Amino acid sequence: MSIVASLSGPMTATVPARRTPFRDLAKSRLSGAILIAVLLLLWEVSAARGWIVSDNWPRFSAVLVAAWHGLLSGELAEILGSTLYRTLAGYAAGCVLGVLFGLLLGSSRILDWTIRPLIEIQRTLPSPAIIPPLILFLGVDDTLKIFIIMLAVFPPVFVNTYGGVRGLDETLLLTARTFGLSRFDTLRKIVLPATLPAMTAGMRIALSLALIMAVIGEMISGSSGVGNYLMSMQYAMRADSMYASVICLAAAGYLLNRIFLVAERAALHWHHSMRME
Amino acid sequence: MFSLKSLTGLALGVAVAAFTTAASAQSVRVNYIPITDVTPLFVAIEKGYFKDEGLTIVPTPSTGGAAGVPGLMAGAFDVMYGNVVSTMLATQQGFKLEVVAAGTKQFPNRGRTNGLVARKADGIKTGKDLEGKTVAVNTRNNIIWLFARAWIAKTGGDATKVTFKEVPFPQMLDALRGKQIDAAFMVNPFFNAAVNDAETFQTFASPYDEVQAGVEVGHYISTQEYFSKNRETLAKYSRAFRKGVQWYNANLKDPELLRIVSGFTKMKPELVATLDLQTLPEVVDIDTVATTVKLMKDNELITGDIDIRGMTAPDALK
Repeated sequence: MSIVASLSGPMTATVPARRTPFRDLAKSRLSGAILIAVLLLLWEVSAARGWIVSDNWPRFSAVLVAAWHGLLSGELAEILGSTLYRTLAGYAAGCVLGVLFGLLLGSSRILDWTIRPLIEIQRTLPSPAIIPPLILFLGVDDTLKIFIIMLAVFPPVFVNTYGGVRGLDETLLLTARTFGLSRFDTLRKIVLPATLPAMTAGMRIALSLALIMAVIGEMISGSSGVGNYLMSMQYAMRADSMYASVICLAAAGYLLNRIFLVAERAALHWHHSMRME
Repeated sequence: MFSLKSLTGLALGVAVAAFTTAASAQSVRVNYIPITDVTPLFVAIEKGYFKDEGLTIVPTPSTGGAAGVPGLMAGAFDVMYGNVVSTMLATQQGFKLEVVAAGTKQFPNRGRTNGLVARKADGIKTGKDLEGKTVAVNTRNNIIWLFARAWIAKTGGDATKVTFKEVPFPQMLDALRGKQIDAAFMVNPFFNAAVNDAETFQTFASPYDEVQAGVEVGHYISTQEYFSKNRETLAKYSRAFRKGVQWYNANLKDPELLRIVSGFTKMKPELVATLDLQTLPEVVDIDTVATTVKLMKDNELITGDIDIRGMTAPDALK
């Protein structure tokens, strides 16, 4: 209430002056950061004032302190490292397979008809649901987690690549034939560049999926990584450390996405979608 | 999907290979839940009892429920800590398991370690009061669930009229506060947190003591295959582990014990200091386990008979 009171005075006094800061805000993209800051402040106040009473709802400042300690001791770097390692390994495997199958099935009718029904069924399986039986075959270590990440990454990459190949402009292929390009050269010079935008769109969706699956896998079984840390911190009644690891994971995910965008820009600099921004 | 199949095959091969190497080496991979009940394992590691026997222990924690017996069968670890009811259930389902060491027994006068918790204002006292209400257990069909049901029946209630909801231990108090549940069977450190908030919560029953005094709740198991191939290793394991239990029982208030508990549970030492650490058993008592198995039958968890003596290692009995 006091904030509202102190702000309302000067704001009602001069109408033109009131409009400019908001217009600047709209231009600067600062509004996004402000919204996040307000929500975090709300978190801090709700815990400090006792609006929400729970051992699982520490003050945000306590989370920052825990994050600081975790980063200094190297504990958070270690758990993030093991999660990111599995994420990237599963992601790479899923992307390679997705692209491979997308290209193959997109260009061969017999392969398409033989294999796609299986893929369509696999696509609908929620990975967490098949973890318990998978443990029997893959154990509880990295193999299991990398495998389920791969399972989650595969569908979006496959579907987009497949769609890209299927949607290829017939004229492009006819032109290639006119110029007498070999099958390999057609793939390299025509099909791949033309499907690359669709492929990367799938890969971008898959990136966040990979991170999510890594954490889910670690929560269900395992002894390292953010997911396991989340669970052990809950059982140790250390909610502040738990949120600290969540925040670091969010930061890592954001960073991964930025890196992906930079790479995508470099690979697709010629494409119109990149020229628009 | 070719890749999927071949990958599964490859991984299966890896799992089998991992299993065979572990069987020949003198290292034992032990899966545990990070609760105070498994402290003797870490005492024996820290005090070098396993090392004295020429064993290397690789402890792997599991916080989720899924790993457990499937992980043991897959050879992801050699020995695991588990609850008696889940072991018997898995045995009934055809998994060949061997009890290799005693784990947790609910001795009388063990302090505040576990029990049923409700909101103070609701004034729940008996199983009859719980009819039409919702009770939280960490997992269905495990020992917590079984004893919650048995306690309700024993105190005049009808367990079939009670809704059981799966809620993880760390979220039980929140669910009680938020009135999503009316009671919860809790363990430490969460039970202790409920005891300390006497304004909001009341602890109204101790199902273990009231249903079967001295019940054995947890134990260490391996597969029968691992047991038969590694009798010598497991004999060494039992000796070293036993020493760990003895040191633990003799030093319940020792600051060093607090440090060890804090080390593997990740609980802050200040929190560990507020907990009542309970005495742990050195041997398995067949009759006690048989009583629990009968309780399982009465509650239709299992139908056939289980040869408890046949699946318990002689070293665990003496």
